[in-house]
Amino acid sequence: MLKIRRRVITSSFHPLTWWLWAVLLATTLLLAHTRAISIAIVTSTLILALSMQRQTAGFHTFRWALRFAVIAFCFRMSIAIIIGVPMPGRTIFTLPQLQLPDFLVGIRIGGPVTTQRLLSGFDEAVLLVALILIFATANALSNPHGLLRILPKRFYGLGLAGVISTSVAPQAVRGIERVRSARRLRGQSSHGIRSWRGVALPVLEDSLERSIDLAAGLESRGYGYFPRPTRYRPDAWKFRDTLAISGGLYCLLIVIASPSSMIVAPILVALFVLTPVFSS
Amino acid sequence: MITFTNVSLIYPNSNKTIIENASFSVNEGELVLLMGHTGAGKSSVLKLINGLVPHHTGGILSGDISVAGRSTRLMKPGELADVVGIVGQNPINSFVSDIVEDEIAFGLESLGVVPEIMRKRVEEVLDLLALAPLRKRFIAELSGGEQQRVAIAAALVTNPKVLLLDEPTSALDPIAAEEVLSILHRLVHDLGLTVIVAEHRLERVIQFVDRIILVHGDGTLELGSTSAILENSPIAPPLVELARTLQLSTIPLSIREFRKIAPRIESAMQELSSISPKPRGPIAVSMRNVSASYRDAQSSYALADINLEIHEGEIVALMGRNGAGKTTLLKAAVGMSPIIHGEVMVAGRNPTSFKDQELITYVGYVPQEPSDLLYGHSVKEECELADRDNAVPQGKTLEIYTSLMKIPNLDAHPRDISEGQRLGLALSIILSASPKLVILDEPTRGLDYESKKILVTNLKRIAHRENRSVFISTHDVELVADVADRVIFLADGEVIADGTTRQVLTASPAFAPQVSKALPHTQWLTVSEVERHVNEN
Repeated sequence: MLKIRRRVITSSFHPLTWWLWAVLLATTLLLAHTRAISIAIVTSTLILALSMQRQTAGFHTFRWALRFAVIAFCFRMSIAIIIGVPMPGRTIFTLPQLQLPDFLVGIRIGGPVTTQRLLSGFDEAVLLVALILIFATANALSNPHGLLRILPKRFYGLGLAGVISTSVAPQAVRGIERVRSARRLRGQSSHGIRSWRGVALPVLEDSLERSIDLAAGLESRGYGYFPRPTRYRPDAWKFRDTLAISGGLYCLLIVIASPSSMIVAPILVALFVLTPVFSS
Repeated sequence: MITFTNVSLIYPNSNKTIIENASFSVNEGELVLLMGHTGAGKSSVLKLINGLVPHHTGGILSGDISVAGRSTRLMKPGELADVVGIVGQNPINSFVSDIVEDEIAFGLESLGVVPEIMRKRVEEVLDLLALAPLRKRFIAELSGGEQQRVAIAAALVTNPKVLLLDEPTSALDPIAAEEVLSILHRLVHDLGLTVIVAEHRLERVIQFVDRIILVHGDGTLELGSTSAILENSPIAPPLVELARTLQLSTIPLSIREFRKIAPRIESAMQELSSISPKPRGPIAVSMRNVSASYRDAQSSYALADINLEIHEGEIVALMGRNGAGKTTLLKAAVGMSPIIHGEVMVAGRNPTSFKDQELITYVGYVPQEPSDLLYGHSVKEECELADRDNAVPQGKTLEIYTSLMKIPNLDAHPRDISEGQRLGLALSIILSASPKLVILDEPTRGLDYESKKILVTNLKRIAHRENRSVFISTHDVELVADVADRVIFLADGEVIADGTTRQVLTASPAFAPQVSKALPHTQWLTVSEVERHVNEN
């Protein structure tokens, strides 16, 4: 049950803004592939998403994306510690090593864990977290339904698929919460891996059903059937959209211009990621 | 306006014919009710009219359907969008925008209406459905009735010739339902719109409709005038059953018509006053000065200073408008509402202190969507899982389920069985742990009269024979009249009435059952009470 509240939409961005921004930042991240830039992006997207949360309806999803990011980080780190090729560096501790057959030369499970091995694992893990957070922020701050309206008719199928896929995540999140509380009602714990089946199945079925309903709704209202759709209230490209995009663009340029800078570049990137905060 | 010629429909991977050789036509400006048991194929008939069946769902269609001269065989639902508007069972699922105004404009945008005309149309529809004050609001934050109105507005804005509605009032409280139906009535009369409504709660719609299509469930359809169909139909609202019991010569369709022809019954008052109240059992649930919020402690109160007690062996109904705090109150009894202050006690303990397995032996809770509780692949597997989860002997859940449902289909997937059977399954799972308190949140959504009767018998057995407490929240006045011993009425998170069913229901006309409206001087609530009186005299 939702509380009825009068909410004014103070600042809204163009539906494309956040997705362009996400693509720019993801490119920056992958091009740079340095620890400092990854950490800079993780912290600044976190600040950005948390400071703008009050203006969005889709923010709920972000918290779940955060959990997912933490799990991904832990998983990547433990893989890095357990499995890998021998790496130089100071040995921090040694795990019991598993004897592997001869044809798997070079790979080992367990064994000494060196600083180098930990750091390279950490780099990969942070990169993963940064990627997840970039797209989670874009998803939380943008409106999936907005995209549908601005796509031209020839991308009808694309728009339909886009809307359905972007609305699945928030729906699944709401579904997970509902089903988890239902599990408590059945006297089952909703934590731990063993509960996944009881949660995942109803949530998936439910999300699928909703998506089919949405597609039927679009279809029966003539979406994509008539030659020239018009706009009731066109989404104007405003200054704040340009600001957000240029922030992403500058990040990319900084990384291309000075790929080896360890201190200045990350600070600049972090600042530019935050430009949308100042615009609203 | 709508013509069915020898229409037959069968869905893929199924050997049941949904519709067989149906031919009928509906004229312009008619309000037609689609009536039938759950799963009889009402929704399929609606979706056939705008082409969603078979174009969207699949299925084999023979014969021809024409709507405003266009054949749905040749045209896809999108191409019919300018003549047919449809409002689905769960409008919240098919909304494509977040803001009321944008949602309403969406249909016009797709049709390519020029912006000047679009603005005018949107304004007209906003006024027509009294949505102007809500135009900039988030749809997700509106109440059920408001969402239903937005969905109707979004379907009407393109000026369709035909409007199709699938259970438009099932989620609404009596007052919101009345509002939506009178708007439909006005649209038919003012604009000559053709409206087809599928609805279970006949007592709400019957007075507004011109004709009825009865979907028999064996594939045959029957179209006839309202009184002709109701005279012999197995499905009938309480008013019609009352007329049958009193052996009236004509079938009244509204309270006004009934009062014109009804005999006066005098002795009823005395009979009722001679019934002594049942002795009350020990207290099962108590709430003392409970205040709670929706999500967290910062948001505003959903419940304010609630004081109530529920005794063993008692069926208590919780009523009130959409958004009055009913679900929050029910959830407080399982320790799932954020209590700000006050004390909730279930069997002398705070429900938040129950551990996983302990909870189900004290409280059984069937949520608004019973399917949230289900995750098996078949009904049988579901029952076995429940036996294991509840740590009860093998076969107990199945035994309860077969005793609740007459013809259980054990191999079907829990998503494919009817709404009533799904509710029965969820209830059996809950009951197999033998809880002291059984809670049901809005159990009658989408239930037909027959499934409701089964539910009533079962709840009475649970409470009166097995001596458990039943706490049930519902908008369904007729169900409350049938089943409840006591009614608690919530408004804005406060208890505004708490008394016996008879006291509370006869006190306000909006929440009175049809029998009590028809025979106001008798204080009777249900047809069975009248029947007993008739048999005795």
